[in-house]
Amino acid sequence: MVAVAEATAATPRAPRLGPHATAWILGSLGALLALAAWTLLSQWLATGGGVINRLPPPAKVARELVQYAAGDLGRDLAFSLRVFVIGWLVGAASATVCGLLLGRVAWAGRIFLPIVEAIRPVSSIAWVPLSVVWFGFGLTSKIFLVALAVFLVVIVYAVDGSRRIPADLARTATMLGMNGWQRFRSLILPGTLTEVLIGSRVALMAGWGTVIVAELVAADSGLGAHLIAVQQSYDVPDVMATMACFGVAGLLMNALFSALERRLVPWRHDSGDVAQ
Amino acid sequence: MIGFVRNRVLLPVVGVLTVLAVWEATVVFYRLPPIVLPSPWAVAATLADLVGTYAFWRDVAVSLYEFVAGYAIGVVLGVAVGLLIGEWRVFRLTVTPVVESLRFIVPFAWIPLTILWFGTSFTGKIVLVAYAVFFVMVVSTARAIAHVEPTLTRVGTMLGMGPWQLALRVHLRAAAPTLASAARAAAAIGWIAVVAAEYIGASAGLGLMITNAATSLATPVVIAGMIVIGLIGAGVSALIGWLARRQLVDR
Repeated sequence: MVAVAEATAATPRAPRLGPHATAWILGSLGALLALAAWTLLSQWLATGGGVINRLPPPAKVARELVQYAAGDLGRDLAFSLRVFVIGWLVGAASATVCGLLLGRVAWAGRIFLPIVEAIRPVSSIAWVPLSVVWFGFGLTSKIFLVALAVFLVVIVYAVDGSRRIPADLARTATMLGMNGWQRFRSLILPGTLTEVLIGSRVALMAGWGTVIVAELVAADSGLGAHLIAVQQSYDVPDVMATMACFGVAGLLMNALFSALERRLVPWRHDSGDVAQ
Repeated sequence: MIGFVRNRVLLPVVGVLTVLAVWEATVVFYRLPPIVLPSPWAVAATLADLVGTYAFWRDVAVSLYEFVAGYAIGVVLGVAVGLLIGEWRVFRLTVTPVVESLRFIVPFAWIPLTILWFGTSFTGKIVLVAYAVFFVMVVSTARAIAHVEPTLTRVGTMLGMGPWQLALRVHLRAAAPTLASAARAAAAIGWIAVVAAEYIGASAGLGLMITNAATSLATPVVIAGMIVIGLIGAGVSALIGWLARRQLVDR
C-alpha cells in the first residue's frame, strides 16, 4: 500500500493536486456513483425486478426525510435518545462500581467474574423478550436493555483498568505515605475511569443497536417504533429515510464521543475510521 | 496446585451456587409466579423438555443455516473489498464516504427493510447477516493491511513480486492475526443479527421461538431459549476463532 501511494505521488502531473483535494474529488465521485447506481437500479427494478420491486430512488427518500424532519422526527429522536442516554449512564456507572469491586477485591473477582464471563456471550439483544415480559413495553424495559448492553461491554474495561495500575506508581504512592483511601482516590479511581471512558465509547454502538431492536420489538415510541409503523404500511421511502436517521444519529454520537475522548485521554485515542 | 483448584474451580463454583441460591430464594420468598420468574429448576426442566422436541431442533437448524450462509458471504466479500481498500488508494478514497456512511446504519435498522423486500424467508436474514459481517470485515481488513510492516512490502518488491502477489501473498498473510480476531467478533455480531431479525419477522428460528414464548408468557421457555442462544453464540465464535487461528496464523 505504501509502495502504491509513493508511486502515485511520484508520477509527475502538470497541475498537482494536494492529497486533500484528491480525497475530496474521489470521495464525491464515489458518493455520486453510488447514488447514480441506486437511481438506475430503482428505475430498472420498478418494471418488475423480482424480489426487490420496491426500491425508491434516492430523491424520493430525501423528500421523505425532509418531510419527516419537519414533522415527528424531533419527538421520536428525543424519545430514543432519552432511553439511550439514561440506559448508557446507568450501565456505565454500575459497571464502574462492579468493575472496581471485582477487579480490586481478589476473592470477589474469583467468585463472580466467571459468572460475568458466562453472561457476556448472551448479547443484550437476547434479553429483549424477557425484558418485555418483566417490564412491559414502556420506557423501563428499554432502559434496562440498554444499561445491560453497556454494562456487559464496560465491565471488562473497568476490571482491566482497576487492575492495570502501573507498579511503580503504586510503589511511589506507598512511599509518599498515602493511605488506602488516598491511593484509591488519586490512583485507582482515575486509572479505572480512563478505561471506563474508552469502554463507554466502544459500548456506544452496542447500546444504540439495542435501542433499535428494543424499539422495534416493543414498539410504543421512538425512532424504532416509527420504523415499524412505516414498514407495516409498506412505505419503503419512509423506511429508508428512518434508517438514515438512525445512521446519522449513530455517526454524530460516535464523532462527539471520539472528540471527547481525544480531549480527555489523548494517549489512548484510536479512531475507528477506514481511511487514516 | 491447591491454589489453582481453589481459585479456578472452587471459588467459581461458589459463585454459581450463590447466584442460583439467590435466584431460588427470591422465587420462594416473594412467591413469584413462574410467569415473572421461574425457579432455576423449572428452567432446567424446560430446557431438558425442549431438547427432546423436533420443533426445537428445527429452530436451531434454521437459525444456524441463516447464520452460516450469511457469514460466509459476508466474510468473503468483506475481506475482498477490505483488501482492495487497503491496496488501491484510488479505490479507497472513492469508496470511503460510502462505506463510512453505511457503516453507521447498524444492521438492526435494516431488519424492517429486509422484511419488506424478502418477506419472512431465509434470504432476508442471510442478507442481513452478510451485511453485518461485511462491514466488520471490511473495516478490520483495510486497517490491518494499512498497518502491515513496510519492510515486508519492500522485501516483496525486491524479490520481484507484482502488486497482486504482494497483496495476496505478503499483505494478506501479515494481516492474518487481525483477520482471525475480526472473524471471531463478526461471528458474534452475525449470530445476534439472526436472532434480532427473527424477532421481527420469521417463520422459524430461535428468535421466533423466544418471542412466541414471551407473548404467551411462557417465561421458562424464554429463559431456556436465551441460554441456548448464548451457548450457540459462544460456541460458534469459539469455533470460528479456533479455525481462523489454526488456518491463518499458525501455518
